Amino acid sequence: MAGSDKTTMQVNIVAADHPVWHGEAKSVTIPAYEGGMGILPNHEPVLTVIKQGTVTVVEPDDDRHMFEVTDGFISFDSNKLTVAVERGRDVQYSTTEQ
Amino acid sequence: MGSQLALKSRIRSTESLEKIFNAQEMIASSHIAKARDVALNAKPYTDAIFDAVQALVAHTHITHPIAVKDENNPRVAVLALTSDRGMAGPYTSSIIRETETLLARLEGEGKKPELFVYGRRGSTYYKYRNRDVVATWEGDTDQPGVEIAETISNTLMDAYMKPADQGGVSELYIVYTEFINMVVQKVRVLRMLPVEIVGNTASVPDPDQEVDTANMSPLYAFEPSLDEVLDAILPKYIQSRIHECLLTAAASETASRQNAMHTATDNARNLIDTLTRKLNASRQASITQELTEIIGSADALNTKEE
Repeated sequence: MAGSDKTTMQVNIVAADHPVWHGEAKSVTIPAYEGGMGILPNHEPVLTVIKQGTVTVVEPDDDRHMFEVTDGFISFDSNKLTVAVERGRDVQYSTTEQ
Repeated sequence: MGSQLALKSRIRSTESLEKIFNAQEMIASSHIAKARDVALNAKPYTDAIFDAVQALVAHTHITHPIAVKDENNPRVAVLALTSDRGMAGPYTSSIIRETETLLARLEGEGKKPELFVYGRRGSTYYKYRNRDVVATWEGDTDQPGVEIAETISNTLMDAYMKPADQGGVSELYIVYTEFINMVVQKVRVLRMLPVEIVGNTASVPDPDQEVDTANMSPLYAFEPSLDEVLDAILPKYIQSRIHECLLTAAASETASRQNAMHTATDNARNLIDTLTRKLNASRQASITQELTEIIGSADALNTKEE
């Protein structure tokens, strides 16, 4: 784990009553308080409030996960992203063509 | 003869009670597994919030009202978590006893406790005695969802954030039952507000120390600003703590009900055995008596003929 290349990060999305998704990702877009915010691996540690919207996770093989979330917050440190929201659900699973 | 009929009807009614107890026990044991799953599912969220709050504490000296509250306001809120249904042994009564003790202690300290109750058994107890209860919630005490946790924490946060002259409270206590294992559940009193954060900084943080603590854990950037992050996270922290209490109370309630129903089933079976023995003995006694009478009278007739 520790020796693997740092082009991906661990993502963990949890809702108040159940874990929604967790896995590897190479980029994540979150509905931050002042507009969308993209997070790439090795981002600086950050704790941000998020509002209702869509979290998009791009997996290492370019698979795209979309999650509809209510307000909550995210925290990122040591290449681990935690998205904690009141309610969240998986809305769409699509493979991009690029 | 009359006593035989009475015994038979007692056995019948005990048998039907035994069936009810047994069914309740089985229902409770199936709910336990569900309650455990719900608690496990909620844990990642609680952990995430807890970590975030820890990160906040490691960096800042919190002066937010949720962590520090003015001590001049004597009003405090007490939330008691009871059950909706009975048949759970001493579950609700021990919560009520503990709540009464807490209320008496708070009043002894010169505070004015205000009572909030969750669970039908608790609210009827206080209504019947004409006690002042600020708010009650009922329903789903054995499987509380996020919604009820949200409703309760919003009400309590409102009461807490209101200024003292408008009926705000300065502290919040929760009386709930902690689930230790299937046979042991403990009533606990938790002071939820102001938040007592168990930080790794044991001493009171002051500006000089901040550099040291910052080096120990990753340096976070807060967006949009520290205050707004605090405003957003602390209510969620409270809500998730309340949710956690509700879940552990629900697990305790179910376990306590299962234990009580198990004992009740055993007792009913013992009672049926005892009653059946009594019935057999009394039937045998009446048969013996009839035989004695028949033989006695036959003997009497025979001796007369001779």
